[in-house]
Amino acid sequence: MTSKFKISSTIHCDVLIVGAGGAGLRCAAEILEKRPGTNIVAVTKVAHPQKSHTQTAQGGMAAVDPQDPVDKPIYHMFDTWKGSDCSADQNIIRKIVESGWEQTVWMENHGMHLSRDENGRVSKRTFGGHTLNFGETSAFRCVFEADRTGKGIMDNVWGEALKGGTSFINQAIATELVFKGDNCVGAIIFRQKDGEFVAVLAKATVLATGGNGQVFKVTTNCRQNTGDGLAITIQAGLPVMDPEAIQFHPTGIVGPGILASETLRSVGGILRNKDLEPFMERYAPKMKELAPRDLVARAIETEIREGRGILNPDHDIEHVWIDLRHLSDYIHDVQIPEVSSFFRRFVNLDPKKDLCPVRPSNHYQMGGIPTNEFGEVQKSNDELIHGLFAVGECAAASFHGFNRLGTNSILELITMGKVAGEKGVASLGNERPELPKNAGDMTFSLFSKFMEQKGRDNPGQIREEMRMLMTEKVGVFRTEDGIGLAIEVLEELKERAGEATLSSKSLSMNQELIQRWELHNLLSVSTFIAHGALNRRESRGGHFREDFPERKDQFNYHTLAFMTEPGQVELGQRPIDMSIYEERQEHYEKFGMIERKY
Amino acid sequence: MDSNYKLTLKIKRYNPDTKESWVQDYVLEVGRILRFTDLFRKINNELDASLAWNSSCEHAQCGTCAVKVNGKPLLACELLVENAVNQFHTTIFHIEPITIAPVVRDLIVDLEKAYERVNEAKPYIIEPAKNPSQGNDYQIFPRNLERYVDATRCINCFCCATVCISSHKGFLGPNAVMASIVRLMDPRETARKERLDTLYSEKGIYRCHTSKACSFVCPKEIDVAHFIALAKEGRFKSKDSR
Repeated sequence: MTSKFKISSTIHCDVLIVGAGGAGLRCAAEILEKRPGTNIVAVTKVAHPQKSHTQTAQGGMAAVDPQDPVDKPIYHMFDTWKGSDCSADQNIIRKIVESGWEQTVWMENHGMHLSRDENGRVSKRTFGGHTLNFGETSAFRCVFEADRTGKGIMDNVWGEALKGGTSFINQAIATELVFKGDNCVGAIIFRQKDGEFVAVLAKATVLATGGNGQVFKVTTNCRQNTGDGLAITIQAGLPVMDPEAIQFHPTGIVGPGILASETLRSVGGILRNKDLEPFMERYAPKMKELAPRDLVARAIETEIREGRGILNPDHDIEHVWIDLRHLSDYIHDVQIPEVSSFFRRFVNLDPKKDLCPVRPSNHYQMGGIPTNEFGEVQKSNDELIHGLFAVGECAAASFHGFNRLGTNSILELITMGKVAGEKGVASLGNERPELPKNAGDMTFSLFSKFMEQKGRDNPGQIREEMRMLMTEKVGVFRTEDGIGLAIEVLEELKERAGEATLSSKSLSMNQELIQRWELHNLLSVSTFIAHGALNRRESRGGHFREDFPERKDQFNYHTLAFMTEPGQVELGQRPIDMSIYEERQEHYEKFGMIERKY
Repeated sequence: MDSNYKLTLKIKRYNPDTKESWVQDYVLEVGRILRFTDLFRKINNELDASLAWNSSCEHAQCGTCAVKVNGKPLLACELLVENAVNQFHTTIFHIEPITIAPVVRDLIVDLEKAYERVNEAKPYIIEPAKNPSQGNDYQIFPRNLERYVDATRCINCFCCATVCISSHKGFLGPNAVMASIVRLMDPRETARKERLDTLYSEKGIYRCHTSKACSFVCPKEIDVAHFIALAKEGRFKSKDSR
């Protein structure tokens, strides 16, 4: 396809990192520590790495302190396995859990301002789903930096990456992976500020592009989380694993969807319906408010559907209450100052005096680009794409299976960032890749279409319709008919998107053009989510089918979804790793296909 | 409860292709607890898709959406319609980009340029102290952490730097010097001389005129001026000043 677009320059580096959030920059820091002077280029879609989604993580990071007299890694592994609804990979669980404390110490030693206990040691608190002795009682396993743990991590890894000499390309997107045979040799990058396309060629490429929360109407995710990394992977014909495994956080603040952290419940916040009944007692008599996220989310949705919700007139959305009025000023002011202030800032309520409105909000994608335990991207179950890594929320190793425990995400992203960095360094060859002839063709063809389209539709409107559709039909509750309908409507929306016109044809800082590209990605990722959800006729973790409410053994596998041709999704399987169970060591019986009850 | 407001947003625009700059009026009917970022989105979806503005987290934790509203730099994501009307006693709002870096388009500025000052202040531990309990966390008592933990909450939105009367004249700026002061107060840092040299350099804290505007506008309610005052009074010169 001929077009007015061209690659304006080619940059050569050792490692290209796409996505400069917590995972991407932890990877950069590891590489620079192991091999100082490595030439790293880190690309971020946002204005600066510090503006990444990692920055918003609140609660903390799970890590078993070897000096803790009662906690043990095996308990954390069990909680993660049980929480995942028996669909995480046990080799990954073991690897990540066992390195938890080492990662905490690394972060702390490199300057993270973790909250302290009275002895001056890193402080710990409880979090939903984390227990001692296989579910007996809550574990104090979560290290934290007040209620801005993600910000602490982001400052830290950005600082380390900067110190080591990483080159950053800010406000830029990766539109296409570049391959030479089966090797990934870099990516095409579109720099938004000057509107130039550049080719970045690297000996190793790391995707760390984050999640896809903008697929849904109410989400805790940043504005930029539009599944771009998945979309370019899909475009390259590579698989996505478990796209249907989406987590809805039970307590998003009504209106903006901002996360009201689990911390609110772990410090004693109580969920109440319109009759002020503390309803969690009916759904999870033992864990109550601290039951895993998907259980709490469904409990709230059920209350709302059965008429016990409250309608917010301004946002026209139903919700339940979280009651924090009985908590001490100390808890409000010291333990949850930022989250507590969200209610004042964003809905004009005082949580010390008022009940606060919350409802389930899309939060996390457990699935993603399938990788092995080193973060190396898989082409199929036994083939890797050489030179390509994926870490963080865009990737699935899989540590979370079908439901992620709170505080496990940051642990996963920094561990896998580190592991991929280590592996990446070890595998760097000397060969300097050349720019393949066809590099950029796919991008230019797509962007030409965006620019040339002439029709009446507005990409912003189509995006809103898609988000509502996915929330209603492929959200907390799913059915065969609902998902089927969603798949049909998604195809219609794709057609309409093909006729949407851009009002400005400029390339430099054209936000409309970026949003058009994002819409393309969102529709592609939504289609994968819907197909995965349709095929999985069972309920597991965050994936809940009303027509098949039980988990079924025949679905004890990961979904692998490929796009064979435009709009066609083909499904395959990857087995769940059960190595802890199979090794038959002490407590192995806890790692079978156990029941998930709290 | 569901009262609506009729607002006029007078937004300063800039087109980098033609180098034109102008003010464009948008009239909107909006609910009381919508935020200004919601208003920008509404403009994009309903009135003018070409208006460029920046945001990321939209809950006051990243600082991407800083703009000037009726002259005051603030985060658009946490300015509710109702509060804006009460705070500014008007329904007409002049919205401009922050003035700390070149404008890229409309309300978007080149934050990378603004961050160059933060980078100069080295927002990391330059030379780590020896950890007495190797392989473990450093021991830092809460009472010591409390002295500087507030400064670690800075999100680099550059609101302080925008209002600072000195930051346009060679001063590194309040947020950048605060990033260095944090590490001077952090017992894990040993590169004190290097940090003090920067703080007391030509670009350093003596450029500050103590207007305290930084503390006044900080969206995170950090008393930025307090930390600068500590450095000015020489608190970090002696070794045991942590």
